[in-house]
Amino acid sequence: MAQPFHAIDRLAMAVGGALILLGVPVLGLFELLDGAPYGAAAVTNDAGQVVATPLIDPNIRTGLVILGLLVFLLWGLYRMASPVMDVESTRREVPAAD
Amino acid sequence: MSTQTANPLGHDFGLQLTAPLAGYWLAIFRVLTGWWFFHAGMTKILEGGLTYTYAPIYLQSMTGTVLGPIPVWMGTNLAPLLQFWVPAGETLIGLGLMFGALTRLAAFFGTMFMTLFWVGNADFAHGLVSSDLMGLMLFVTVIVFAAGRYFGLDAIIERTAFVERHPRLRYLLG
Repeated sequence: MAQPFHAIDRLAMAVGGALILLGVPVLGLFELLDGAPYGAAAVTNDAGQVVATPLIDPNIRTGLVILGLLVFLLWGLYRMASPVMDVESTRREVPAAD
Repeated sequence: MSTQTANPLGHDFGLQLTAPLAGYWLAIFRVLTGWWFFHAGMTKILEGGLTYTYAPIYLQSMTGTVLGPIPVWMGTNLAPLLQFWVPAGETLIGLGLMFGALTRLAAFFGTMFMTLFWVGNADFAHGLVSSDLMGLMLFVTVIVFAAGRYFGLDAIIERTAFVERHPRLRYLLG
């Protein structure tokens, strides 16, 4: 029992994976190159005032990751709803070698 | 065959190189784990250079752990090395995982780091399973499944004549 991989499956893999990688390492690299603060959060002083903000809003980065996970969820639901092909019945019988 | 028949997802998630999902996900998983360490190491370098003075202090505070006197001894006697090794090691481990080069070797050192973090950070008030243990398990998983072979440079390096002549190098690659 197996479901063949079609273009839409590869598209879901590419988009879902790309969103996650974009959110974490790719934009993280831009964040590093932009200089301090190197983390994803704003830096505050003792009075609680924001003294430095990251280049990219962490909500955007986390949103991209969640979007990628949502793509995987939708893809999984699509796979669940797709018909399952019986590979066993399509397999050709081959006589055993001596 | 029987496994595939019993498990309808066996084809998609099988761990053969030809299986569509396992290699794909291991590669993403490996890159994210690598980024985690690369970011930790690189920010230390950018902020304080290759002298991370907190490293020996951290190890010296690890008294009364299952690791006995080893971390305290390391923190006391290997301080200059540790100050260099923590930022450099984290960065190199991260690069190794992200590019999938010398992946198992990099992940081995990652497990060493995470073992020290797990034992040193935890007071185990919420049980033994902490995020540090999960991080440790990530590196072990990278080693077990040779995650560098999936869209990583190790897939190319392992096919070189040199590695073919020295197949035990695959324990460091892959």
